[in-house]
Amino acid sequence: MDYAASEPGTTAVAPALAIKILIAGGFGVGKTTMVGTISEIRPLHTEELLSERGVGVDDTSGVEAKITTTVALDFGRITIREGLWLYLFGTPGQDRFWFMWDELALGALGAVVLADTRRLQDCFPAVDYFEQRGIPFVVGVNCFDGARRYDPAKVRRALGLVGTIPVVLCDVRERASVKEVLTTLVRYAVEGGQAVSSHLA
Amino acid sequence: MTGEDPGPLIRLFGLTGGRARPQGEAFDLVAIVRTVGGSYEPADLIPEHRAVLSLCRRPTPVADVAAHLALPLNITRVILGDLRREGFITIERPRPATQTIDERIYREVLHGLRSL
Ligand SMILES: Nc1nc2c(ncn2[C@@H]2O[C@H](COP(=O)(O)OP(=O)(O)O)[C@@H](O)[C@H]2O)c(=O)[nH]1
Ligand SMILES: [Mg+2]
Repeated sequence: MDYAASEPGTTAVAPALAIKILIAGGFGVGKTTMVGTISEIRPLHTEELLSERGVGVDDTSGVEAKITTTVALDFGRITIREGLWLYLFGTPGQDRFWFMWDELALGALGAVVLADTRRLQDCFPAVDYFEQRGIPFVVGVNCFDGARRYDPAKVRRALGLVGTIPVVLCDVRERASVKEVLTTLVRYAVEGGQAVSSHLA
Repeated sequence: MTGEDPGPLIRLFGLTGGRARPQGEAFDLVAIVRTVGGSYEPADLIPEHRAVLSLCRRPTPVADVAAHLALPLNITRVILGDLRREGFITIERPRPATQTIDERIYREVLHGLRSL
């Protein structure tokens, strides 16, 4: 720690910004793998404790009864420079976890919806979720070995995506591939459909 | 998951007095935490609190504090809420990414991703 504490009142507060990116998609589609491929920090996987909602969570008694669920949450970090980070959050897209998404999605730059062409329907809820909330997202088609290589245009049609939403084929185990997906998302989120039209099928 | 030995969870909740939610105004997982410079630090702070104050002399996102403490995010947030209440730290309310990303930050992010 080489940070020198300044006199109160004279501190020039360095702007620090952490940008949230969400990784969504069905079970086993590669969310954890994707975060792990690109993150620079280790504790990637946490089990979050969820209290039953609606009970007196600040009550110190009966703790045992209230800890009813844990939800897996992956998070990873990419440091762009001191004071500027990208944070990736991945968590299951199942109905009972949507409240968690509501919090994660707040203020997020955008989302990557991972799709497996063998089970495309698994990503429908995530696509619906981000569409309904107007959160920019790209679809990453995770090309598992042996899975038929899909034409992105077909995936777009199958998912009923509007024309500007990028669909990228990827392999979440490959750093370069994950970089491309994230770059596509950042460009799309900031510049909109125009910026990435060259990537589109 | 439910049904597993609740022991570790109970111990974690001991850190927070059983509370699942932080005190005061809600804050985001990527809100920036800063130790208040020159604040009086009592000798009897628990190690987790001390660790937060040391770490957050540099502005640090909530999620990173959790990573450093190796604690779940919820637990970390309760700890941070307590420290904020005591005036040891500030927690900045982040604005939506789309409002904070200007041209320069956008370029920096794209460049940063490319050079990973
Ligand atoms: N062959 C292959 N396996 C993958 C790929 N992505 C993920 N996997 C494997 O699929 C399994 C599920 O991936 P995981 O990241 O845990 O999925 P999650 O449930 O979305 O977090 C793991 O065993 C991964 O190693 C891929 O692109 N190709
Ligand atoms: Mg996973």
